[in-house]
Amino acid sequence: MFGLPILFAAPAVLIALAGLPVLYYLLRVTPPPPRRVPLPTLPLVKDLIAVERQPSRTPWWLLALRLLLAAAAILALAGPQWNPNATQPGQGTGPLVLLIDNGWASAPDWPLRRERAIALLEAAASRAVAVRTTAEEPQEILPGPARAAIEKVRGLQPVPHTPERGRQAQALRSFLAANPAAEAVWITDLTLVGDAEPTVAELLREAGQRLRIVAAKDGGARAILSATNERDALLVRLARTATGSAGAVGLVRALDARGRLVGEAPFDFQAGESAQARITVPLELRNEIARVEIADGQSAGAVHLLDAGAQRRRVAIISGETTDTAQPLVSGVYFVSRALTPYASVQEAARGADPLQRALEDRPEVVVLVDVGTVSGQAFDKLDTFVQEGGVLIRFAGSGLAASSDALLPVKLRRGGRILGGTLSWEKPQALAPFPDGSPFAGLSVPADIAIERQVLAEPEPALTERTWATLTDGTPLVTAARRGKGMVILYHVTADTSWSNLPLSGLFVDMLRRMVSFAATSGNRAETGTDMINPRRVLDGYGTFVTPPPTARPIARGRGGVAVADHPPGFYGPSEASVALNTLAADARLSSLDIGGTATDSLEERPPVDLRAPLLTLVFALALIDMLAVLWLAGLLGRRALPGAAALMLAAGLWAGAGDPALAQGGQPSRPLPVVSKDDMDSSYQMRLAYVITGNSEIDETSKLGLTGLTRALATRTAFEPGPPIGVDPAKNELVYYAVIYWPITADQPLPGEAALKKIDQFMRNGGTVIFDTRDALTFRTGSATPSAETRRLRQLLASLDIPALEPVPRDHVLTKTFYLLDKVIGRYAQGETWIEALPRGGVDEKRPARAGDRVSPIIITANDLAAAWASDRSGNPRFPMVPGEPRQREMALRTGINLVMYAMTGNYKADQVHIPALLERLGQ
Amino acid sequence: MATARLIEPLGRRLKPAVEGAAEELARVLPRLALEARQVSAHVALGIHGRRRAGPGETFWQFRPFTSGEPADRIDWRRSARDDRLYVREREWETASTYWIWMDCSPSMGFVSSLSQTPKRDRAIVLGLAMADLLVRGGERVGLLGLTTPLITRNIVQRLAQSLVAGGPALEADFPAGAIPGPRDRVLLFGDFIIESAAFRSGLGVLTSRGASGVAVQVRDPVESLFPFSGETEFIDPEGGQRWTVGDAEAVKAQYRQRLDAHEAALRAATTASGWSFLGHRTDQSAATGLLAMAMVLQYGTGAAQGRA
Repeated sequence: MFGLPILFAAPAVLIALAGLPVLYYLLRVTPPPPRRVPLPTLPLVKDLIAVERQPSRTPWWLLALRLLLAAAAILALAGPQWNPNATQPGQGTGPLVLLIDNGWASAPDWPLRRERAIALLEAAASRAVAVRTTAEEPQEILPGPARAAIEKVRGLQPVPHTPERGRQAQALRSFLAANPAAEAVWITDLTLVGDAEPTVAELLREAGQRLRIVAAKDGGARAILSATNERDALLVRLARTATGSAGAVGLVRALDARGRLVGEAPFDFQAGESAQARITVPLELRNEIARVEIADGQSAGAVHLLDAGAQRRRVAIISGETTDTAQPLVSGVYFVSRALTPYASVQEAARGADPLQRALEDRPEVVVLVDVGTVSGQAFDKLDTFVQEGGVLIRFAGSGLAASSDALLPVKLRRGGRILGGTLSWEKPQALAPFPDGSPFAGLSVPADIAIERQVLAEPEPALTERTWATLTDGTPLVTAARRGKGMVILYHVTADTSWSNLPLSGLFVDMLRRMVSFAATSGNRAETGTDMINPRRVLDGYGTFVTPPPTARPIARGRGGVAVADHPPGFYGPSEASVALNTLAADARLSSLDIGGTATDSLEERPPVDLRAPLLTLVFALALIDMLAVLWLAGLLGRRALPGAAALMLAAGLWAGAGDPALAQGGQPSRPLPVVSKDDMDSSYQMRLAYVITGNSEIDETSKLGLTGLTRALATRTAFEPGPPIGVDPAKNELVYYAVIYWPITADQPLPGEAALKKIDQFMRNGGTVIFDTRDALTFRTGSATPSAETRRLRQLLASLDIPALEPVPRDHVLTKTFYLLDKVIGRYAQGETWIEALPRGGVDEKRPARAGDRVSPIIITANDLAAAWASDRSGNPRFPMVPGEPRQREMALRTGINLVMYAMTGNYKADQVHIPALLERLGQ
Repeated sequence: MATARLIEPLGRRLKPAVEGAAEELARVLPRLALEARQVSAHVALGIHGRRRAGPGETFWQFRPFTSGEPADRIDWRRSARDDRLYVREREWETASTYWIWMDCSPSMGFVSSLSQTPKRDRAIVLGLAMADLLVRGGERVGLLGLTTPLITRNIVQRLAQSLVAGGPALEADFPAGAIPGPRDRVLLFGDFIIESAAFRSGLGVLTSRGASGVAVQVRDPVESLFPFSGETEFIDPEGGQRWTVGDAEAVKAQYRQRLDAHEAALRAATTASGWSFLGHRTDQSAATGLLAMAMVLQYGTGAAQGRA
């Protein structure tokens, strides 16, 4: 409005501005104009007061002040808003090309970008426009009507990969060159992955003023580059493009395959462009992690998926060598553990009796046997079971294995082994042949200087070739593997130390071990299926959420590696038990901010419109204060000396009035303080819940709590009633009105409730609540025995001061036994105790009905069967107390009793009334 | 609290060039003239004896000659008709001419809620009534500076017409420019809101050829009582000056004192010049003022001491 980015919520109020001249007229004479009287005798007396007063015109500055005050008040009432989002593209008439970055980096503020694009297009409705996104295939740019372009923009979504800007920039560049009148707007995320694309720079340079860039002012993209399993934590490496403080700190969350939170860790970029976060959780949990994401990252780049290969394997190394302890640094165990430590959690078996068994107790996923000749007996069975259940067994040959072997081998071995290049051999030490394609080692480069001097040989058999993963140049197998059950057995035909070959000294040894370990979970799949194509199963969209794969997603080759592209969106490929994760960003990706040089940039952020009312009203208030001071000063009521003091006083008064107690301001008199409502009471008022009385005996209170928790769970699973968590109440302190039923275990030493508490209980019972008193003494005392138990005595004392109706043992036809389940009696932890309830009126019309009920719910139920103990169960659902006498279904019956009790307390005689239904239906029919 | 307002100045309103003179005359002056007649009629009842023998030229009566009288007074022609001697008496004729001046300055156009009669109207009523009274008493009456002395039955109309046609002389606070002759009598109706020194000097001019007269000060009760309080802005109807008083109540005493002093000064000036001074307030009836004036004219100042 008026060329300024100001909007008014109620522009009609501005009409009042027209009244300012009237106000000016009214204000000119003030303070209130004196009575004006003609007085002819004035010439005679006008010297009576020495100073003839000047015409009492308001000083101009006071007038201006008041007019300003009035204008400010009117403006404030009109609800002005400073809306700084007024920048629009050049108001040319030629075609307009809108280039939108829709890579993953645009996703976090995508709605903003889309809105901005639509706003731009709507502003250019009269022009021919074309919309291009950086992720789509570059085509010839053909501007069309804005309406179609807006429709296109509405349907745009960010893509989960990093688009190539270069080709699209090239298309735009040639279009701008061909159409001198054309203009372009580029809504970009300013995120550059990898090297700068020269086309973009050329586009920027050539377009000059014809290209405007709309970009977010701050923030920039944040991404997770990699997440690697380290020894004690999952190390997450993050990168970002901006270096400001915005978004510098945050949280990285690790989720498992089902989306459950496994762990989280903070990260802090500080001033740099990279950061790390360490998610420290136990290894078993770490291996469950399938997805690491920046909390509220909202882009595919802020998500890193982990497949089984990234899991850190637990490797147990067991050595059959006995003599290498003298020189541990050249032992095979040492080589293997050094090679595996960066990638797996290595556990060397402790020396001593039966190391294998103890190693297996730690549930490793890979077991490495270094020159263990024969595993036998119980150890063999365990090891066999381990492999059959999916474990990976890696064996290294050695003199022990060469001498004798067991069945846990992929191939049959010849006795003795083979020595190459030794003094008694004609043959030279053999080098390693390139790995065959089907081998998991395919792709690893083979150093030429590897020399194998000794090996164990496999008996030739038909399956040998397909079981061979690596061979020597003469074709003899070096590494063989075979599936065994769900697991796999891999054999190195050389030792893990340097005595048979120099393989353990090479980097290849590390790589080979690492590959073997990495598919411990996917054991066998690779060997079995080879380099097949695997279909996308769950892929990420641009926002980093899992979606079903779009039709454009195409399968990848297992072991393809690399990063996601348009055809292969990031996500999990392959079956769920052997997924391969494809990520948006490579681990070594470089993120940087796109260099746009000096191109004019508009801010993407719709800066929130500033509500100007508050400052205007403050101004009004301040002006009013100044006006008051000025009037006082003009009236001479303020001495020069008093002026500052008065000003301070008025300011203080104003501040007090501004921050004054609204209650005082409204009512004029302080309102009565409301009683404090405790949080428990507040929660209880929101949700129905069961309650028990706190006895002061912590064991019984715990039992009550657990019991009611169990009952609550049973209610929630079996009935439509889903109570909140149970609560312990103290009748003396808590309000009871929120509860329908209160469970009250009686202890012998329980203090009697006070007068107020008794009154409250009485009130509760009279208002339809039910109190279940539980003396819990059915085991020790039979009802009606001459000497009542201590609990019963206590209960009698307690009830003496309450208004208790006549009681009777629960009759078989009482509605309590029919409210949800059909029960015979009230059963708790004990079955034999008697349960008393308000006596139903005898006789009457419903004597023969199957269920009887009074007009109200019985206010009191007294049992001795220790109900809560029957319901109580621990966290994992195991019962806490044994049942007496312990019939198989007693616990179930106890739960049913509890459900019936709660239902009875809540529904009253509803079930009893149901017997009338046939009669009612009959009447309705007539 | 009293309220007050100003009425339109007479001259401006009655100026023929501006508005229809006849209409205005019909509107304002007939009422005033009628009022003046009524007032003078009331007063005339109390004044007798003017029609009596005295120095004059017209025949009045014959009366028997009393011995000791100068013999030349005998009217022989009448005495010849019988044997008694008669003296021919002429009617007493006043040689004096009455000049009337009425203040029609803006300050006279003041009326307050306490009186309902503008000072100017009261001055005109008093003046015209006096003229009527005097003419009926056989005097010649003229408007000072406006007309020649007239003695006519419709003196009121004549003077009213002259008022309408009156020039700036009426607007002045004090008559100037015309000097009455010796033994003329001057009747001044006005509020005399001028410095007492100016009043005295003006009076001196008027009496320079031996004229005497009466100054009637017409005042609105508001002017005398000053019934104001609170912050009040007073406006001088003539100069347009303003005078704002924070609390009018506070200056009331000073105001009255000042006005009393002024009045005393005026009274002293008139007495010193051999004139009479009468005060009249517009909340009094016009007849009261007229009666007091007649008494003063007939019997001298002593007859109506103080305020009329």
